[in-house]
This record gives sequence, structure tokens and C-alpha cells, in this order.
Amino acid sequence: MFDKLKERFTGTLEVAEAHCDGPCGVYDPAQARIEAESVLAMTKKILDLKVPEGDDAKAHAAYHNTLTRFIVIKEERAELAKHHLMVLWTDYFKPDHLAKYPDLHETFWKAAKLCSSCKQEVSLQHAEELMDAVKKVHEMFWGSKGKDVAWYTAS
Amino acid sequence: MENELPDATWKERLLYFLGRRQAFLIEGSSMKPTLSEGDAILIVPRSQIEINDIVLAHHPYKESVKILKRVSQINDNGSYILLGDNESESTDSRTFGPILPKEILGKAVCRLK
Repeated sequence: MFDKLKERFTGTLEVAEAHCDGPCGVYDPAQARIEAESVLAMTKKILDLKVPEGDDAKAHAAYHNTLTRFIVIKEERAELAKHHLMVLWTDYFKPDHLAKYPDLHETFWKAAKLCSSCKQEVSLQHAEELMDAVKKVHEMFWGSKGKDVAWYTAS
Repeated sequence: MENELPDATWKERLLYFLGRRQAFLIEGSSMKPTLSEGDAILIVPRSQIEINDIVLAHHPYKESVKILKRVSQINDNGSYILLGDNESESTDSRTFGPILPKEILGKAVCRLK
């Protein structure tokens, strides 16, 4: 009884959660888009990197250091892109979304595969296809919420 | 609208003060538009549950969490299929499966203003 009176007068009520697993409203394909953009940027940088001419040890060390950093970033970002796509696929999207987007599973499956390809290869084509796939996810996601959110990129 | 919860009457408030109802604060938006974050509701513990009732239940995998969802279906074995009214932003029986009767804590009867 005392607890009830305290509740009533202090407003400290117990919580009933009406959540989705991620706190509601935090899903956003922008996370996958930012990582995919990084993958594309790193792929371009690796392809543009020039092997130093001659036997200058310092120049070769600098080249390998830079190349390694680009590769590491590409690897990490591709994995993060895959993670964010998987969260959207498995946590946000529900079976009833399939009615509106019959190719939902195919889209996510291909996008996840492209993340792996971008790690294994230095492929501008696959990095650009990953961006296209993330754009399609963006359109499905916001379409499922009935919102018209324009696609944009940071770079 | 049949999905709406009525506002608490003086009788429900009295029952709350007498400990026959429990008050809960809503967090999250999975029960929109029926209930929004910050709404307060009264629960009748151990009530007869029917389809379309809004119920409070233990989360099947998170011991300390209590969830509020609507009964969509009652299975032959007595378990409940619970769904959020805002299905696109709800984790419910579509994800964690049916809820056993022993996990149901009560039924929402009205909202506190």
C-alpha cells in the first residue's frame, strides 16, 4: 500500500517495455552506407597507390605501410558493413515486409556476399555494386516505414 | 476504436490504491498508436486472457524485462502469440515465438492520465 502511494505521488512506476530489440527507432541503413563508402574509397586508394621506383628502402617501407593501412581499413569496414546489413535483415525486417519486397532476402544475401568479395579482392566493380546494394536496402527500409528519405553519400 | 484503452475511472484508481491493480510506464513505440512512450497503464494481475487483450509478460529471454504486447492468437496448447500494434518496430512472437501462460503477468485495462 505504501509503495502504491509512493508510486502515485512520485511518479516512479515500473517499466513495461514496448520495444524492439534495438531500442526503437535506432535502425538506419546509413550505418551500412558509411562503411560501404569507406570500402569503396579504400579500394580506389589501393588501386591508385603507386609502387615506388628504385631501391629506396624508406620509400618501400612507406608504400607497404600505406598499402597495409588501406587493406586493414577496407577489411574492417567491409566487415562492419556486413554486420550492419545483418542487423537490418535479421532484426528490423519482418516476414510481412516480404509481401512488399519479395526480393528482400535476395537483396540482403547479395549485399552480404559483396561485403565478403570486397574483403577478398581489390575490385572497384564489387565495391560499387556494394554501394548499389546498400542503396537498395536504404530504399526498402525507408519505404517500409512509409517515409521518403533521399539517398545521399558522404563522399 | 476497439483497440484503444479507456482512461482510468475513479473505480480503477481506487483499485490501484488498494493494490488490486498495478501501474506501469510504457517505454518504446512497439504499441503505437494504442500506447506511446511515457503513457502509464493499469494492469489486472492474473486475469482471464482473450484474443486482442494487451498483456504484460515476462520477456522469454531477459529475466528482468517485462514486455507489453497484444494477444494475436491463443494456441491449442494454451500458449499466446503476442504482437506489437506497431509491427514494423516490434520484437514479439514473430521473433521469440509463443509465450507460455505462466509468463503472462496480467492484462492492461486502462490508461492513467
